Amino acid sequence: MFALMPTNIRLAIRSLSRNRLRTLLTMLGIIIGVAAVLTMVALGTGARASVEGEVKSAGTRLVFVRAGNYTRGGEGVGIASGLGAAETLTPADAQALRGLAGVAQVSPQLSLRASVAAGASRLFTQILGVSPDFAGAYAWDVRPGRMFAASSHEAVIGRGLADTLFGKSLDPTGKTIQVRGQEYTIVGVTNDQSEGHGDMLFVPWQAVQASMGIGYLQAIVVAAERAGDASSVADAAKTLLRQRHHLAAAGKNQSYISAQGGGAGAPDDFTVETQAAKALTQGLYTPAAAFALANLPKLDEVTLQEMASTLDRASDTMTALLASIAGVSLIVGGIGIMNIMLVSVTERTREIGLRVASGARSSDVALQFLTEAVTLSIAGGLIGLVLGLVAARLVGWALDWPVSVSFSAIALAIGIAALVGLVFGSYPARRASLLDPIDALRTE
Amino acid sequence: MSVITLESVKKVYKLGENSVHALRGVSLEIAAGEFVSIIGPSGSGKSTMMHILGCLDRPSEGRYLLNGKDVSALSRDALAEIRNKQIGFVFQGFNLLPRTTAVENVEVPLLYSRPVMHAHERRERALKALAAMGLSDRADHHPNQLSGGQQQRVAIARALVNEPSLILADEPTGNLDTKTSIDVMQALQELRARRGITIVLITHEPDIAAFGTRIVAVRDGVILSDVPNVPRGLPQDAPVALAAAG
Repeated sequence: MFALMPTNIRLAIRSLSRNRLRTLLTMLGIIIGVAAVLTMVALGTGARASVEGEVKSAGTRLVFVRAGNYTRGGEGVGIASGLGAAETLTPADAQALRGLAGVAQVSPQLSLRASVAAGASRLFTQILGVSPDFAGAYAWDVRPGRMFAASSHEAVIGRGLADTLFGKSLDPTGKTIQVRGQEYTIVGVTNDQSEGHGDMLFVPWQAVQASMGIGYLQAIVVAAERAGDASSVADAAKTLLRQRHHLAAAGKNQSYISAQGGGAGAPDDFTVETQAAKALTQGLYTPAAAFALANLPKLDEVTLQEMASTLDRASDTMTALLASIAGVSLIVGGIGIMNIMLVSVTERTREIGLRVASGARSSDVALQFLTEAVTLSIAGGLIGLVLGLVAARLVGWALDWPVSVSFSAIALAIGIAALVGLVFGSYPARRASLLDPIDALRTE
Repeated sequence: MSVITLESVKKVYKLGENSVHALRGVSLEIAAGEFVSIIGPSGSGKSTMMHILGCLDRPSEGRYLLNGKDVSALSRDALAEIRNKQIGFVFQGFNLLPRTTAVENVEVPLLYSRPVMHAHERRERALKALAAMGLSDRADHHPNQLSGGQQQRVAIARALVNEPSLILADEPTGNLDTKTSIDVMQALQELRARRGITIVLITHEPDIAAFGTRIVAVRDGVILSDVPNVPRGLPQDAPVALAAAG
């Protein structure tokens, strides 16, 4: 039965290539089905892998305390002039926060845009004044070199900035760099890329204070010991700072809105935000965003396991959606194949008659037409595969989404295409095999 | 030995409530090496006879012995094998596969031979059959590149390729002009003369029937007459071959 397979495949390819446009149109359903499925599976698994990676790497350990607030005056939505420009945070505040329970690292933060000079290269970039604890808070990988020492004139440089100033992949440790007339010795390179760290220069915060001629801090970064503790650390930090800044106590049952806006008591002269919340409102420091944020649940208290199970549920939903889209398009494609195969059987009645007269059994005729249907659907599947891979790349590139296509996804797509050909080709094949040779030969 | 024995064969078709009696009891015996022309007007039952002789259809009543074997009640697949091995068909419309080379057309019956034949053996045998019909140089031509006569010769080569004992020709000259018709008929006569193949020709034209060694006239499902005939237009070497075959 299978000895004639090579001949049947050759016959199928010849017969399909005779009517190229018709063949292509027939395959369209399968092509679109397979391409869509492959694209979405590729994007889905890629996105899932990337979200999982982010959840794992980022954690939600950090709490940001910044000087000033979105609003001043406590009534409704005000102007955002206070944020970051206020002079309310002091090094002593940072020292006090270090004493809170559950806090692992605390680092003051001052930022400055200035031009940096190294040898003949000059570049305008962001300088961050922090403490050595900053490296721990962000789980830095400082290589080559080490983190700078406290209160020194040492600096750590971001990988991107180092590449620009000193050349790609060169080791800049031991080189000197000038910022606002102050010379720093580079002692390490950080490979952290988050929050733009790759293009920044990090120096001790005292040096930045001196350079700016100020005594206050713009922000304090607090790292909780455990992910999930960030919200309680944030609450404790808020209480502590209100005490230290002698702000009138607010009502016991503060909501987040009143905590941000002031509510019953005097408004905060600082802003406390967890990393999870900050990530959500990246670049959206508007009153509207602050309002939205205040009403969000405590994001960081969601454990990684809960996040993972949410992702699983989301991906289950996605899989179900994919399956239904795949099902519909493949059924439509299969009906197209069945239709055209029935037309083909009618058109080739004389050929069938001749073959039967020449000694072909019913099964020979059935196998010939079934082979043709499966060849058609597999060819469609292969075209869909190529289209799907291209489309996945394009969408991934346009949306900056990671794409991953597994071998099993490809095998599945082709297998399903073949199955569609088999299922929808069997009825026309049966029709062909049951033709009465006398009628078949008589047909003009 | 008889190649064909029909014993009071009847064929009834049911068309709705009416039954059509296509054959009303036909008995016929054809010996090996005969060239029998079956002649009759349309509706006479000659096509039905051809279908039964060709194992494409089964008699409603009576027996059909092919090479001594009763094939009246065989299964579809068994009939397929008999058609493949013992019968070669030549049709009025040639029935060549379009956009398929002559040699591939000739290979078709070999595709269905059991045990399965290797591709190179199929090709070899098909080329031999084409050569026997004088078409070696046309092996790679498509049917639309061949004349009507050449197409019918390809069809005869196809009928021959499995070395059947019987060739059934159904109005083989119906689509051909007179001169080409004579060529094709002589080709059939030559086959019979050289290889001793039994030929049954179905036609409605008396001058085509005249190429046979025996003429059977059919009308209304019964045999009207069955007479020996001196074939017209025999090739020059025919009498010798005839003697050998007879």
